[in-house]
Amino acid sequence: MDKFYAFIENVFMKPMTKMAEQRHLKAVRDGMVSTIPLTIVGSFFLIIAFPPVPQGWKESMALFIWIQNNIGDILIPFRLSMGMVAVYATYNIGHSLAKGYKLDGVSGGTLSLLAFFMSMIPSVATGSDGASLGYVVPVSKLGGAGLFVGILTAFIAVETMKLFRDRGITIKMPEGVPESVARSFEALFPTVAVVILMWIVVVFLKFDIHNLFNAVFSPLTGLVDTPVGAVVLVLLITMLWTAGIHGVSVIGAMARPIWLEMLTANADAMQAGAENLPYITPEPFFQWFIWIGGSGGTLGLVIAMLFARSKYLKDLGRASILPAVFNINEPIIFGLPIMLNPFFTIPFILGPVLTTIITYTVMSMNLVAKPVILAPWTFPAPIGAYLTTGGDIKAVLLCLFNIAFMGAIYYPFLKAYDKKMAAQEEEEIESKGEVI
Amino acid sequence: MKVLLVCSGGMSSAMVVKSLINEGKKLGLEIDSKAVGSSEFSDEIVNGWDAALVAPQIRHKFKEFESISREAGVPIDVIEARGYSPLGGKFLIAQTKKLLGL
Repeated sequence: MDKFYAFIENVFMKPMTKMAEQRHLKAVRDGMVSTIPLTIVGSFFLIIAFPPVPQGWKESMALFIWIQNNIGDILIPFRLSMGMVAVYATYNIGHSLAKGYKLDGVSGGTLSLLAFFMSMIPSVATGSDGASLGYVVPVSKLGGAGLFVGILTAFIAVETMKLFRDRGITIKMPEGVPESVARSFEALFPTVAVVILMWIVVVFLKFDIHNLFNAVFSPLTGLVDTPVGAVVLVLLITMLWTAGIHGVSVIGAMARPIWLEMLTANADAMQAGAENLPYITPEPFFQWFIWIGGSGGTLGLVIAMLFARSKYLKDLGRASILPAVFNINEPIIFGLPIMLNPFFTIPFILGPVLTTIITYTVMSMNLVAKPVILAPWTFPAPIGAYLTTGGDIKAVLLCLFNIAFMGAIYYPFLKAYDKKMAAQEEEEIESKGEVI
Repeated sequence: MKVLLVCSGGMSSAMVVKSLINEGKKLGLEIDSKAVGSSEFSDEIVNGWDAALVAPQIRHKFKEFESISREAGVPIDVIEARGYSPLGGKFLIAQTKKLLGL
């Protein structure tokens, strides 16, 4: 077992330290995190538009009839937030990357946004009433589907700024000019360069970056959305946690753009009225059905700890149960501990693999609805499961089943550990007795 | 003494802050402490903290925090695993005192 922990430490630690410091990856991570409030609030309008009530209510009750008739208006906040998530992400990726290079964050974000918009060619459109709408850009390219193009254009924009700064190609303002004014002039040359570059590629050469990225990333997203893909992610995350490292923070930094793309695709399908959603494993899949009580699905374990014989385990169980309900499990990762503890490594790694397979199977058979809404990760899991599936009560049952299932997986290991701890505690009490 | 804790989202370290303050009270120490998420660290560290402690689960980011902390002139360390639990207050206090040279 010691060799296993040493292996994880050796194999993962160095590349992870490098990754944590890697500016582009950090920028993407910051960009994704910045979109969370928009995605949460935006996706809740999906629940309002598609309320989880019986079909009969929708046809008979005034409120639901009103909703049906005004569904387009209700979905507007969704379309302009989650539906355009790439816009917000691109700005924040550019902002973060520019700050990482000690460039002006606002200029970096703004130029990234410009580069992103220039990846699309607006066309003249007419509305349903025949009146001209002027130049329009398809919103679909601004949503999850445009996320990877947004990342690329942000990189191009900020790298160009860096190139100009490093070469010293800039308009120097005389002393005494306010800094904000000076900074906006500094961005002038890189802006010219980015505009010309994007114009040549997109307008002159008619090269469609969005099509290229769809061709490259659709197979990748498809690959992640398989049982094998989901199990690999789960294994990486739990293995990191057994070494005491925040697995979701590390793996999520890379997987989050794909998760977000899946989630927005599901949301788009839902608002278009699709019966079956395209993807099973966007992030809420793991959050509400696998990581119940925290990574490793430890809520069942904490509940079992409440009945332990060892005083330490019982006390820790009491102190950890409330955080566990809200999916925070550092108290037991480091307190029990699970980290580097041979008693718990096997259930901690194996249990979530099993719940992943169970949940994936149940969802692919359409017995439980697929995740489409993003709820804050500190919600108790059954509530999160209900919300994320757009109000499927069967999702709550699946979540409760997984809690009990994980509890059963941990139980024999906890019992063995409890026996050892209780024996140790008795010994300590006896030896103290001798001293007195 | 003022101790700033940082973890991934500022959630789990908020609980450790509580155990640090409670343990300090037992020893008659006046401790002012706060938890932040990794992205807020650089903005918060300049607000007059005596020491910074990094949660063990994000120790792979320690170098990044260390360089920010050094710029602000604040000593920094990774919390040892057993100190990072609701029952680990005494280990955490010992580590903090050592970091501050008390």
